[in-house]
Amino acid sequence: MEDMDVDMLPRVQATYVSHNEKFELKKQKYKGQQYSQLYFFRLTFTRQYLNPRIKERWPSYIVTNILGLDEGKVCVVIGTLYKQMKLKPNILDEYSKERSVGGLVVPSNFTDAEDYLILEDESGRVKLVGDCISPAVYVTGVVVAVCGQPGKDGEFLVEEILEPGLAPQPPLPTRKKSESEKYVAFVSGLRCGGPETNPLQVQLLVDHLTGHLGEEQEQSLSAQVVRTIIAGDSVQLQAQALHGQPLSSKDQHKLIEPIKELDLVLTQLASAMPVDIMPGSKDPANFSLPQQPLHKCLFPGATAYSTFVSATNPHQFELDGVGFLGTSGQNIEDLDKYSLADDPVDYMERTLSWRHIAPTAPDTLGCYPFHDRDPFLIEPSCPHVYFCGNQDKFSTRLIRGPKGEMVRLVCIPRFAETGTAVLVSLSTLECHCVTLSTSLLEISSIEDIKPDIKP
Amino acid sequence: MDSKRFASKQSGDAKVDSKRPVNKQYNPLPPSKRLQATFDGPPPPEMDEEDFDEDVFLEEILLRDEEVQDSGVEGIQTRLAKWRRPIPKRYHNAYDSIVFQQLEIDYIIEESNKDLLPDNRGPAAVLRIFGVTEEGNSVCCHVHGFQPYFYIMALDNMGPDDIPKLRQTLENRMRETSKNSKAPVCVTDIKMVQKRSIMYYQTQKSRNFFQIFVALPTMVAACRGILEKGINIDGIGQRCFLTYESNVLFALRFMIDCGIVGGNWIELPAKTWHDRIDKRRFSYCQIEADILYSKLISHPPVGRYSKMAPFRILSFDIECAGRKGHFPEPQHDPVIQIANLLTVQGEAKPMVRNVMTLKSCSPIVGADVMSFDSEKDVLLAWRDLVREVDPDVIIGYNICKFDLPYLIERAAALKLTEFPILGRIQRSRVRMRDASFNSRQYGQRDSKEVTIEGRVQFDLLQAVQRDYKLSSYSLNSVSAHFLGEQKEDVHHSIISDLQNGNPETRRRLAVYCLKDAYLPQRLLDKLMYVYNYVEMARVTGVPISFLLARGQSIKVLSQLLRKSRQRNLLVPNMKGQSGQDTFEGATVLEAKAGFYEKPIATLDFASLYPSIMMAYNLCYCTLVRAEDMKELQLAPDTYAKTPSGEIFVKPSQEKGILPEILEELLAARKVAKEDLKKATDPLEKAVLDGRQLALKVSANSVYGFTGATIGQLPCLEISSSVTSYGREMIEHTKRLVQERFNISNGYQYEAEVVYGDTDSVMVQFGAPTVEESMNLGREAADYISKTFTKPIKLEFEKVYYPYLLISKKRYAGLLWTKPEKHDKMDTKGIETVRRDNCLLVKNLVTECLHKILIDRDIPGAVQFVKNTISDLLMNRVDLSLLVITKGLTKVEGDYAVKAAHVELAERMRKRDSATAPGVGDRVPYVIIKAAKGAKAYEKSEDPIYVLENNIPIDPHYYLENQLSKPLLRIFDPIIKNASRELLHGAHTRAVSISTPSNSGLMKFAKKRLSCFGCRATLSEGDQTLCSHCKGREPELYQKTVSSVRELEQLFNSLWTQCQRCQGSLHQDVLCTSRDCPIFYRRKKAQKDLSEAEVQLERWEF
Repeated sequence: MEDMDVDMLPRVQATYVSHNEKFELKKQKYKGQQYSQLYFFRLTFTRQYLNPRIKERWPSYIVTNILGLDEGKVCVVIGTLYKQMKLKPNILDEYSKERSVGGLVVPSNFTDAEDYLILEDESGRVKLVGDCISPAVYVTGVVVAVCGQPGKDGEFLVEEILEPGLAPQPPLPTRKKSESEKYVAFVSGLRCGGPETNPLQVQLLVDHLTGHLGEEQEQSLSAQVVRTIIAGDSVQLQAQALHGQPLSSKDQHKLIEPIKELDLVLTQLASAMPVDIMPGSKDPANFSLPQQPLHKCLFPGATAYSTFVSATNPHQFELDGVGFLGTSGQNIEDLDKYSLADDPVDYMERTLSWRHIAPTAPDTLGCYPFHDRDPFLIEPSCPHVYFCGNQDKFSTRLIRGPKGEMVRLVCIPRFAETGTAVLVSLSTLECHCVTLSTSLLEISSIEDIKPDIKP
Repeated sequence: MDSKRFASKQSGDAKVDSKRPVNKQYNPLPPSKRLQATFDGPPPPEMDEEDFDEDVFLEEILLRDEEVQDSGVEGIQTRLAKWRRPIPKRYHNAYDSIVFQQLEIDYIIEESNKDLLPDNRGPAAVLRIFGVTEEGNSVCCHVHGFQPYFYIMALDNMGPDDIPKLRQTLENRMRETSKNSKAPVCVTDIKMVQKRSIMYYQTQKSRNFFQIFVALPTMVAACRGILEKGINIDGIGQRCFLTYESNVLFALRFMIDCGIVGGNWIELPAKTWHDRIDKRRFSYCQIEADILYSKLISHPPVGRYSKMAPFRILSFDIECAGRKGHFPEPQHDPVIQIANLLTVQGEAKPMVRNVMTLKSCSPIVGADVMSFDSEKDVLLAWRDLVREVDPDVIIGYNICKFDLPYLIERAAALKLTEFPILGRIQRSRVRMRDASFNSRQYGQRDSKEVTIEGRVQFDLLQAVQRDYKLSSYSLNSVSAHFLGEQKEDVHHSIISDLQNGNPETRRRLAVYCLKDAYLPQRLLDKLMYVYNYVEMARVTGVPISFLLARGQSIKVLSQLLRKSRQRNLLVPNMKGQSGQDTFEGATVLEAKAGFYEKPIATLDFASLYPSIMMAYNLCYCTLVRAEDMKELQLAPDTYAKTPSGEIFVKPSQEKGILPEILEELLAARKVAKEDLKKATDPLEKAVLDGRQLALKVSANSVYGFTGATIGQLPCLEISSSVTSYGREMIEHTKRLVQERFNISNGYQYEAEVVYGDTDSVMVQFGAPTVEESMNLGREAADYISKTFTKPIKLEFEKVYYPYLLISKKRYAGLLWTKPEKHDKMDTKGIETVRRDNCLLVKNLVTECLHKILIDRDIPGAVQFVKNTISDLLMNRVDLSLLVITKGLTKVEGDYAVKAAHVELAERMRKRDSATAPGVGDRVPYVIIKAAKGAKAYEKSEDPIYVLENNIPIDPHYYLENQLSKPLLRIFDPIIKNASRELLHGAHTRAVSISTPSNSGLMKFAKKRLSCFGCRATLSEGDQTLCSHCKGREPELYQKTVSSVRELEQLFNSLWTQCQRCQGSLHQDVLCTSRDCPIFYRRKKAQKDLSEAEVQLERWEF
């Protein structure tokens, strides 16, 4: 590892293991496979987790499939939820609806009081009713077990609902006293090249992380950052420039400039510490999850460093035995459209309990039609740190499972809007956010600017 | 029990003579209105010529005792038992009256009832009324003693003394013609009555008629034939007679005489009826009684008798396993599934959902699955279901032409004689016969007519075809249109595979089959057919079954007969002949084509033709023949001459019957509309809305009745007078508007009539605002209305602003009924809903009109057209937008000229006979680029094949044959040189044609990669870019990846939509509905994506 600091403050290191194989498509192709296999796999796999939990919870009830339901008999069924939503946008609307006057207003949330849940397994579907299930909480694609009894009209009266719950988790490695504190930095939504992006702010972040900023105290803190994770939306592209005709040289420039700018940022970071870049919804990568790593030809500068890693989205890895899993935000953003919660962290917590980071894929969230696996299942183990990029604001929560599991949930805000990055401690899972501001620039000299570190 | 009974079901016997060439003659609307849908409410049903109504027998086929051996499939009865009707209360003759809503009336011939009619002998016609009580119990009522009859006019020198002679002569002649009749007497009675003919105005109030009663309904026609040809009566000589009311169906005659209208309530008062004790029961109905016709009470459908009984509606659908490449045929292919849905009228949810399958089938939540090992058991179980469930109405989609005949023919092929007992008469087999249906509109169609006694058949396909003009009538597109949902469509070649799979795949099929049984019920509810048709039957007085099976004229005739009876008038049997004189149609004022940017007010005549008939007292009985003029010596103020030169007397002399019918209809409509406003209960609203609509349609069909030259009682003097008045009124309105609303009369602007059609006049008053125009419109309507005879009234309803008038019957505009905001965009004649247009045209036209009329952005519209044309030429248009569909109505050889879709069907058959379209299917195709000089029909190709093989489409075909006409129509009035500007501008220069992957030449070509940047051929080592373009990697990679992004997005939204539509996440999408707009897109997205990925992969080196 390179250490550029004059005072030779050594950068702390951590062992890095990537677990992204399952997110890599490699030679998989769109050859006419459909999404049913993905659902099928998800259901079969999740059933394994649910079965022991059902035995524990309802030892006396029989577990049956939807076909085996008998009117009036209490039983347990495992199935995939399907949420019937009247406001859900539909591609057929393009054909049937008349163009409304004054342009389309797309609501940001499609839930409605009339939404209801349907449980489906390989054998059939049944409508779920009952007060204990809230359609606003669940989304299509979640696998659950329900206990209750079928009613007359082919409806199922749910008495209790059981989710797969947290996946098993290896204990958090304990830090030796002698060892230095270690942090991982998370940032997302850099939006290099965007019309409203302040390039100086990004540069401040880079300088801060690489230890070019501040006094010794800050620098020593910077030196404890073992890795930086850039969780998506690193550039702002002129999407319309990509259509149709060959580009004029001016347009070519427009298209390249943000990438060049980003490469510069990445090169600086990579020269100081390991950097993982994940693609996001606005980056030049494919659309469907899992998004494949950003192509290295985009970053001729950063690629030269071995510390530069172009990762998939979602991204799963281990640092000194601490498990990390996260996305650039699409999964949570989609949940925010099709369900309700007070805080995005709630969505994250739900997905952990569902043991699936992106249940709405493929229904409303684009994903590759896998036929032999579901990479979004949280398995085999639950991460210690679960992050999600491109959120409106910073938000975090530490959740503890019944068996002593501990998961740090982090919503990483968009840097371009908030100037905030997030630091997570490897040993305690404590979480800080670092907000950088350039607003004083006009009246004070560069030296005066100090990063504002909030615990 | 007598084993030989005869029966005739009225509705089944109508179209007997199917060979006769038929022209469309009868129209309820003025001829000029027929081409367009200017009708508010559902468009008028197209009239199909009816053949004549005559009572003909179909033998009722009863099984012999030895044939009745089975009692159905074991165990089924008990499972079906829970769907039975409620057990009826015990009715006692002495103090209970039986009250029920009748739905179906037919009659049989049997030995005269000795208890009720002790004096009669021999066979007699016994009417059967089927219905349902308020409690939901089925009733079969046998009505005795009603005799068929008709009238002839007595000659001047004939009197009561001539009756015996006449009767004897007639009886003798009848004996000759019907030798094997069992009736002891044919002509049972002749009475002399005082009546008058409805035809022509007469001062004489009545004269002598003979009312001739015959033993059986069929004898009416025979007797009429004899009298019309002429008979020789002693002392009078050889004479021909004109017959009166000799073409009235027996059941209708009965209904008219007893005051029964379709679907009303009947009461059998206590002490008048006789219960049928078990052994004498003929029917499966719960309550069965005998009564004399004079005793029953018919309740008019008002007050408490306007409600509906809880009758039972069975909706069903069958699936057959066809052999590869063939449409299922009953001789070979088994029925594998039958899905059923029973709904009780007035209840929101179906009561029973059931599917019967051949071979095992996994259970389905909410449906009762019954599986059988033999097809015989499936069929018999269904018969048992029908019997146990005892539906009053059987509905489905295309059941009359497919499902029911198929079941019956299949049972015949399997020699299941006991199967077709589906009606309500014990042991009586369903009868089926071929019917052929000919009309100018639809071409020849062969169909089967199935008679199921006591149950009304209601085929949703027929109803929708009749009442709505749609681009496609597949169940899929009809439900997409009315219910807003796409239906999964499983191709019939897959059905056999699913059947031959396992219980799961059969379950899959069963779910599909259930849905097909459910959709007709939902359509029935959504379109409120039950209410609308029952109301129509009540208003016009015909049985419900007539409404679908017959045309409009029987409805008018029914009202005419009822009304005439009240006035002691008789309707002559005067059929028109084809080729009679035609008359001038409605007027269309010349359209001053252009784009009007000032508001255009529309002045409409409310119910113009009915109003004219009422205002001028136009009727059969008020028409004065020219030859009678002298003799009648009418005072000049007692009659009026119509613009077409006919003379009609004024109401002071004689009130017309047609005006009276119309007045009642329109008055009833007014009441219904007022009640509708007050009504709060949704069911009540539905009934009232159905009623007011039925009344309106009925009023409009009266005019058509008089103009139908092959109708029941054509009278061109009336119809031509109506249109001549109509023309005069339009001209008159135009004149008055322009004379009054001008600057010289103190108005601010000069009014101009820009267009007028049949019953509306479009006026540009010149005022710049909608509000001012509305005020002027209202003023003009009031002012001009005052100059008309009541009840003709000019109404002001709407303003168009702006208004694009293309030519007569083609216009578009924004419609305003209040000054604040426009209501909608209204288009006539340019809505390119024609089936042989591709979607691109429709979308383009809609978007252009939107831009022109709503956005007021003409340059934007022009640019949009240019972009679309450029996209088309550059091969960037979604293929599904270019698909054209045409129905394959007959096999190739039968087409005189080669047609694109027929040729294609033939080519597809050669490629793969299993999936090729067959007769009756719709063939979708696109036009492809072909060798120079290729005929148009050779350039059609299957869209799927085009997708798979990268075959280039022919953009110029689409530009010239599809786009140019509709576009020029719109833009010609708006911009100069529209053709040059739109169709030949710079945007048409760049053309891109894809290279087909299956062409001969490509097999010899060696594929070399080309540079992403400059398209130069790459040297061996390079994968992506040539050395020249190397520095542009980031830019060019972004381009490649962005195309993948878009396709992935599309792929996802299309395929997940199909999953939602099929209602299952865990099963693959099988649907092959070519009617669905995303079918081709889905396929194309998949293919494009795998191609784009190959491109992307080249970057991974």
